[in-house]
Parts: sequence; C-alpha cells; structure tokens
Amino acid sequence: MQITTTEMGLAARVQNLTKTYGGGENAVRALDDVTVGIRRGEFTAIMGPSGSGKSTLMHIMAGLDAPASGSVWIGDTEITGLSDVELTILRRRRVGFVFQSFNLVPTLDAIGNITLPFDLDGRRPTSQERTRIDGLVETLGLGPRLRHRPHQLSGGQQQRVAIARALATAPDLVFADEPTGNLDSRSGREVLSLLAAASREHGQSIAMVTHDPVAASYADRVLFLGDGRIVADKPRQTAEQISAHMLSTEVTA
Amino acid sequence: MTALAPSAVNTIVPEAARTPRFAWLRERGMGATILVSAISTAFGVVLLSATGYLGVALGSNPDYGSSDTMIVVLALLSGILLAVAVYVAAIVTANTFSTIIAGRTRRIALMRLIGATARSQRSEVATQGLIVGAIGAVLGLVVTTVGVVVAVPMLDRALEVTSDWSPVQPVLLLPAVAVALTTWIAAWSGSRRVLTVTPLEALGGSVERSREEIAEKRGRRAGAVVLGSIGVVLLVGGLLLGLLSPAGVLVAFFGGLFSFTAVSISAVSVMPPLLKATGRLFGKSVTARLAAENAVRYPERSSRMAIGVVMGVALVVMFAVAAESAKALVAASAGGEPDASFNEMMDVFSTVMMCLVAVSAVIAAVGLVNLLTIGIVQRKRELGLLRALGLTSAQIRRMVLIEAAHVTVTALLFGLTLGVLYGWVAAQSLLGSVAMPPLWMSPTFVAPAIPLLPVAIVIVATAALTLTAAVAPTRIATRTAPVEALSE
Repeated sequence: MQITTTEMGLAARVQNLTKTYGGGENAVRALDDVTVGIRRGEFTAIMGPSGSGKSTLMHIMAGLDAPASGSVWIGDTEITGLSDVELTILRRRRVGFVFQSFNLVPTLDAIGNITLPFDLDGRRPTSQERTRIDGLVETLGLGPRLRHRPHQLSGGQQQRVAIARALATAPDLVFADEPTGNLDSRSGREVLSLLAAASREHGQSIAMVTHDPVAASYADRVLFLGDGRIVADKPRQTAEQISAHMLSTEVTA
Repeated sequence: MTALAPSAVNTIVPEAARTPRFAWLRERGMGATILVSAISTAFGVVLLSATGYLGVALGSNPDYGSSDTMIVVLALLSGILLAVAVYVAAIVTANTFSTIIAGRTRRIALMRLIGATARSQRSEVATQGLIVGAIGAVLGLVVTTVGVVVAVPMLDRALEVTSDWSPVQPVLLLPAVAVALTTWIAAWSGSRRVLTVTPLEALGGSVERSREEIAEKRGRRAGAVVLGSIGVVLLVGGLLLGLLSPAGVLVAFFGGLFSFTAVSISAVSVMPPLLKATGRLFGKSVTARLAAENAVRYPERSSRMAIGVVMGVALVVMFAVAAESAKALVAASAGGEPDASFNEMMDVFSTVMMCLVAVSAVIAAVGLVNLLTIGIVQRKRELGLLRALGLTSAQIRRMVLIEAAHVTVTALLFGLTLGVLYGWVAAQSLLGSVAMPPLWMSPTFVAPAIPLLPVAIVIVATAALTLTAAVAPTRIATRTAPVEALSE
C-alpha cells in the first residue's frame, strides 16, 4: 500500500518529474527526473539561476503546466491526469499564488481581489473565513486601502493585497514566484517577513521561487536547482551561506 | 567547416535583418479597417451607379416619362445615405486605431526612449490609416465596379430598356477618395493617445492603468446640450406643425439631425450609465460582475463601439416605424379603412430604405466584433491570471459573452427607443394634416405603430452579432494556457 502525501507530512510532492521543451536537436530538458516534497507548515525556498527549471517546477506543481512524465500531488490529490475543470477548481480552493508582477485584477478593488477566490467558487466566505480575512487585512495593514483599485496602490501595497488573496482560503500550499522581484528592498523585506510569519504563526505551507539569496534566507528550508535537477536541500541558511553555495556551484558548473 | 561559415552568414543574416515594411498590416484591427473602408466605398459606388443608371433608364423608356425631380431627390438621398455610412465608418476606424495604439504603448514608449518625437510616431500611425483606407477603397471600387458591369445588361433586360449606360465613370472615384481620406483623418484622430505616451513607460514596472481618463470636455458637453435642446424643440415643433401642414416633416427632420448629433457627440457621457444599467440584467455572479466592470473599463471605447450600433438600429427601426405609422395615419384619416395600394408602396419604400441603412449597421457590427477581439487579445495576461486563480474556461467564455452582450443589448434598447421615436415623429409630422377619402378626417393623431417583423429581425440580428462578436475572443481567451499568459 502506498503511503499518502499527508502521512509523509508533506503539502505537495512530485515524483520522477521530467519536462522537455522543444523537440529533436533543440530539445531543452527543463526538469530531469525530479523527486521532492514540500513539507507541511514550512516556508520553502526554491533557488537556482535562470534556466535552472525552478519556474517550470513551480508551474507544474501548481497545476498550471503539464509534465512530460512523472506524478504530482497536492495534498493527497494526484493532479497529473486531472481534467482542466478539476484542476481549475483545485487551484481555486487549495492553492494560492503570489506573483512577481502582483497580478491583481485591475477592475476590482483591493477587497474584491482578496475575496475573488470565494466569488469564483460562487459562495460567500463563512464567518470563520471572514474572521481570517479581517485578521489578514489587519496584519497586512490594508484597512484604509480596501476600496482602492490596484493602480491607486504602491507596489508593496499591491503585493500585500496579493498575499491576502493567496492566504484568504487557507490553501494547502501558497506558491510565490519571485514575490520581491518588482519591489524596493524595504517593501521586499516586509513582504518576506509577512510570508515567514504566515508560515510560522499559522502553519501555512509556502513554496517560494527566487534567485535572490536575501529572499531565500527568510525560508525554513532552501532547495537548490541546477540544470533541471535538485542539487542541494538545506535547512535555514543565511544570505551569505546561500550566496556562497550559489557561487561554488557556478564555479564548478 | 570554415567553408560553411560564410555561406551561412550570407543566407541567414539578410533574412533576419530584413524587417518587412508592411508587417504592421498583419496587426489585429488592420484587416477590419480595410473591410470597413471597402464596404463604405462599395456602398458609395452602388448608390452612385444606381442613381446614374436609373436616370438613364427612366429617361430612355417613354412609359416612365422624364423625371428630373426624381433624379435630384435620388441623388440627394444617396448623398445622405453615403454620408451616414461614412460617418459610422469613421467612428469605427477612429475607435479601432485608438485601440491598436493602446496595445502598442510599450513599443511607442521604446521609440520615444530612443529618441523619436511623439509627432513622428503619430504621423506614422496616420499614414498607416491612409494606406489601409486606400487599400480598402480600391478593393471596394474594383469589386463593385465589376459587379455593376455584370449587372447592367441584366437590369436592362429586366426593365426592358436599352440604357447604353457605361458603368465605369470617373465620378465613382469620388466615394473611394472620400473613404480613403476619411480613414486617414479617423486614424489621426484615433491616435491622439500617442502624444501622451512617455518614454518612461518603456522601462516597465509601471502599473497597468485600468481606466481611461475621460477628459470631460466642457465645450463639447455644452455643445451637446444646446444641440440636443434645439433638436427636441424642433422635433416637438415639427410634430405640432405637422397637424396643420406636411411641411412639419422638414422641421422635424432638422430636429432629428440635431438631437442625434447631440447623442453621438455626448456618447461618452450618455453610454456608460446605460451600460451599467444593462449590467444589472445579468445578475450578481462573479462572471457577470467581472464582465460588467470590463464593459465600462474603457468608457470611451465601449461608448463609441455602442453608438455605431445604436445608429444602425435606430435608422433601420426608424424607417420601419415611419412606414407603419404612415399607414396607420392614412387609415385613421380615411375612417379606419387601410388603403391597400398606399400600404404596398410604403412597404416597398421602407424595405428598400431599411436595406440601404442596414449597410451602416453592418459597418458598426464589423467594428464591434473587431474591437472586442482586440480588447481580449490585449488582456491575455489578465485572463491567464483569472485561469490561474480558478476561473474555468466555461466561466471565461460566459464572461466574454456577457461583456459583448452589455454593448449589444444597451445599443439595441437605446437604438430601438430612438428609432421608434424618430420614425413616429417623421410619419406624424408629414401626414398628420393630410386628409384621405372617404371621411377626410384631419388632423389625425396616432400612437407609434411598431411593425413586428422588422423589429424581430433587428433583435435576431443583434443576438447573432453578440454571438459572432464573442466567438473569436472566447477562442483566444480559453485556448491560452495560464502559464503562457502569465509569462508574457
């Protein structure tokens, strides 16, 4: 009998994942037989230089892209082979996203963006969820901005709205794709502290893709990717240690 | 190995370095502009040819008698119909170009960053307008002229005349030139936004603006109010005068002209509240709410998109209601008995007129389909986001359809209202004082008579337009994988 993802203490995992782009001579192997799990309640950083396959890994884990071979689980649900509608509903209910370019819906105000996942589901937040959202709005300091539209907000504020949206449904896993890439360093630090706090205080599982050692230093665990493979898996690291590791792999590569 | 290198350079480099000079012609929206110009030109050519031919044909057959007045009236009518079609085409083209510009913002900003002046960028756009306008005009001219050459002998036989009329006339160049020039001017006026693009926008990181600033032009607004008031006064005056003399219709005609001009220049203020009101019809689901927001996101764009359709619907309905009300008036004056031969004449007249003004409606429809499609293409990224967050493709499809329906339903209802009003005023002001046998009752006053068939056709055509307008965008919207859209 196969052991389930939950029993392993994982929020998501992938097994023997392979992804190839293009064909024939020009084929690029973005992921090469990757097997890894994202531990529940942890803040995991996925590090690697451009082209290491980290974004591809995140997209496949989140059900946004299909692998060439291998299996993916979110919680105990195997998502490889799910239909488009099933995948969509799974993303809506059990996955949260924070993107580099914020990606808020420009026609909705801040609170409209935060409650969008519930609206998509055709339901109102329960009183428990309501409390959770109020708490998030409070923590993220968005109270006075709830009726503002994205273009009336600063980058840092927009990213905080995106974080509130991602956390609102208490998803199995939040994916953050270079969440600080478009922010100044102060807003960036704020965003990272908020993500770390969500994981530490509320047990939120978060997987963050980044190539910034400072960002990765906020995580409980750092996975290093290189040429489509996991090359190292380390516990919390300082930015210096991460940089040193990156440099050493750059030199040996 | 070394021998291979030079040949590779020779063949590959020039190929890559050559930027096709007319690559922009393949940009979305250009094809539709060509189509719009072609339809307008073709319409003009057909009208001029028909007028010319009828003049010769009627003159050559003694049975029809000489009718110079009729030719003058026909020529005048053709002129008005052509002007309406070209006007609608100009609105559509200006709108298309301003939408194309919105999609090109980044590239224009880059050019500005490198050192191009805003004016040079704008005149480049205008030149493109002239080129597509000319292509469309030539296409329309050639195709229709060939059609007319083929049709004349057949018509001769049908009408039993020998017209000896040559279909290829220099005067046919007139609509072609007019259309090309109008497209040029429309492209120029639609490209106003180029001037506001800053070089900084090329550096990215800037937040997408979700709404166009609507510059409330006070002058334009005041002008609309004045014109509208005069129009309403003239319409009412014409209506009252019509109870005494058929000359009332002349007064009412100018009332219609003024009031409609007021509506079309104040479209940007008039349409958004109407669009919002329509939004309530679709309920409160998330797809409906997103669609409602999208429909008024670029108020100027949707207003102009709708006003073209409003014009088309209003004109078609106007002739239908005018004819039906005229029949009712004549019957009322005669003491309740409808006059069969008069009714038949009115039916033929209104059918011909409806077909002619329907050309404007078709032009507006092309514009609508085109603009919705470009709008979706430019929003690919946002649609990808919605897919990533959990909107199913069925929900996306519904959202786009509702978005299209916002514009068409609003335009339909508004157009129907205006059409019924104008048609009724026209009939009433022309025939209110005319007495008919056997009872010779005068003045007569009837409620607007609305013929069901033409109105039903208009409604069905609008529904079909909504579905057509949503086909291409939904295909684009649902075919895009979320990742692809997000990484753009």
